[in-house]
Amino acid sequence: MSSSTKRHSMMPRAGQLPKAPVNISSSVVIHDNAVLTGNHTINISSETVIHPRNKLDSSHGRITIGRRCIIHERVVIGAPSSDPTKGEFGVTLEDYVTVEVAAIIESGCTTIGEGCQIGVGVRIGRGAKLGKHCTITARSVIQPGEQLPDYTVLYSNGTRRTDKRGVTDLKNKAQARQIDVMRRLITTNINRFKE
Amino acid sequence: MSSRKQVKGEYIETDTGNKVSRKANLIGTQHIMLGGKTVIMADAMVRGDLTRTVSAQGSSGGAAPQSNTSIFIGRYCFLSRGCCLRPPGRIYKGAFTYMPLRIGDHVFVGENSVVQAATIGSHVHIAANAVVGEFAIVKDYVRILEGTVVPANMVIPSFSVVAGQPGRVIGEVPEGGHEQFEMRDLYKTVGNNIPPPAPAAAAA
Repeated sequence: MSSSTKRHSMMPRAGQLPKAPVNISSSVVIHDNAVLTGNHTINISSETVIHPRNKLDSSHGRITIGRRCIIHERVVIGAPSSDPTKGEFGVTLEDYVTVEVAAIIESGCTTIGEGCQIGVGVRIGRGAKLGKHCTITARSVIQPGEQLPDYTVLYSNGTRRTDKRGVTDLKNKAQARQIDVMRRLITTNINRFKE
Repeated sequence: MSSRKQVKGEYIETDTGNKVSRKANLIGTQHIMLGGKTVIMADAMVRGDLTRTVSAQGSSGGAAPQSNTSIFIGRYCFLSRGCCLRPPGRIYKGAFTYMPLRIGDHVFVGENSVVQAATIGSHVHIAANAVVGEFAIVKDYVRILEGTVVPANMVIPSFSVVAGQPGRVIGEVPEGGHEQFEMRDLYKTVGNNIPPPAPAAAAA
């Protein structure tokens, strides 16, 4: 027995999951508590904000995140799905996407269109394709392979309508302002996530 | 007897009686105010770092010292596993800012619930998997049932029972029902040196 009384766990610690090969723009903000893991590439474009306790898992396919996205805390992007076959890529988020707290996006050719708002605790199945500027309210579930046309608003009780407000430019502007504030509030050290 | 050895004890107990799990995720602790006797369980997440960035006063009152606390929590609150408290944010005077989240006394937040309200009164019970939207105002003695999605900006009057997606007032707290909101007993069940829960049952 060694003199050390401290027990060492055989499991790798949460912070020591295999680092994913990443391709991150220097203007990206990622909180230190976020985890980027997997063996496919994770691309994150400029001015995106990633909150603490996020998990981006590229072990089931490549993850691409567009410009000026906001990924709130405890989101899992690239979660394993029940269907084990690998897709061409994992998850693609286009520009100006907001993913709120504790949402889960399964891996396997899942595409989230530009300006989508994914609410709190939403689950998006593999292969789902969301059009541009969709709004998914809290605790909704999107089935695997489901396709939503542009400007769809989906409520958690199953009803849906089409957003005809035409405020997409304003919404994108507001998102840019929000990102400006978050850049000041969230401490980041991008080099930690690079090799 | 539990075989699990706890070297330090699972909870950090402060002088004011707060019990904070070592596995809780508190971010921006300098901006979180705990009133005392509050329990924060493992994996609960409190986002104190999202502070107000635009001052509340007009440009004339800029000299006043601005408190930067983003989350106020009263006495005897209970934050269960996996819940998340975060201040709400919006565009204010042309700039985006987060606003403080105020929580009264004797507030229970259930497992995996997400609270982004502006104000939560006293004696509020938020069950598991509920979502309280941004800038919602919840008054005193409100019961939010499991899985409720309270939409953003909703104002919930006192003594309401709220359920559904979206959340609607479905009833009232019955006469005398307010005693169930008391959190002192629940507070005593959590901590490092808790007397075994049922010694009478073990003796029998």
